[in-house]
Amino acid sequence: MESCHLKDSTMEARPIVTSKQKVEVVCGVPTQVVCTAFSSHILVVVTQYGKMGTLVSLEPSVVANDICKPAISTRVLLGQDEPLIHVFAKNLVTFVSQEAGNRPILLALALKDKSVEGVRALKEVIRSCQVW
Amino acid sequence: MEGLPAPGSGDISLHNFSVRLWEQLVHFHVMRLTDSLFLWVGAAPNLRNLAVAMCNRYDSIPVSTSLLGDTSDTTSNCLAQRLARKTKKQVFVSYNLQNTDSNFTLLIENRIKEEMETFPEKF
Repeated sequence: MESCHLKDSTMEARPIVTSKQKVEVVCGVPTQVVCTAFSSHILVVVTQYGKMGTLVSLEPSVVANDICKPAISTRVLLGQDEPLIHVFAKNLVTFVSQEAGNRPILLALALKDKSVEGVRALKEVIRSCQVW
Repeated sequence: MEGLPAPGSGDISLHNFSVRLWEQLVHFHVMRLTDSLFLWVGAAPNLRNLAVAMCNRYDSIPVSTSLLGDTSDTTSNCLAQRLARKTKKQVFVSYNLQNTDSNFTLLIENRIKEEMETFPEKF
């Protein structure tokens, strides 16, 4: 049903953005992760409330640097701008940006469980939704 | 159609569709969350801007703000507002087409509304 044998039917056109989705229980909390690849950004949604929650933009620095990986700056676009959200954001998706050729990340984060183990486990769920 | 999308179950649903308008193939990508919606519109897979709109009790026009990209381009804002009013949800919109002519965006909006009527569970 998903094939595009009907070439002229716009209904059947192949999607140009790819998404991967996982529903998993992380440290006892039902969690949903959706990763969507755009050419300019990767959108990562990590939610334990079913909502977008806080929206954070992560931008790798554009300054060429041969010695180490580019520094990533975080900016809260929507929601409460508290220090912890920046820490979570960097911990969760810095690797995504790096693996995606230093692409900026848009992260939607709504967490109930804010433990270190939780973040570690979430990272693995994000990795399993690799679209980059 | 597919399983039981139990109402209120917070499962995120993803939905893609497209339309050919004015010789251009326009793609749509919808992510339905609890009480909110993320909609991307584009011909190429980039994400140049993002706006959000939501209903409020003080005004019949939903409030909206630009979150990412060129703030002088209000197309995403307007579309988010109109969809927020229709769905009563928090709506994120990323409109990535060169053509921001109002006649054209109206066709885009109509295509979205048509899809909403066909697949209400996806929005």
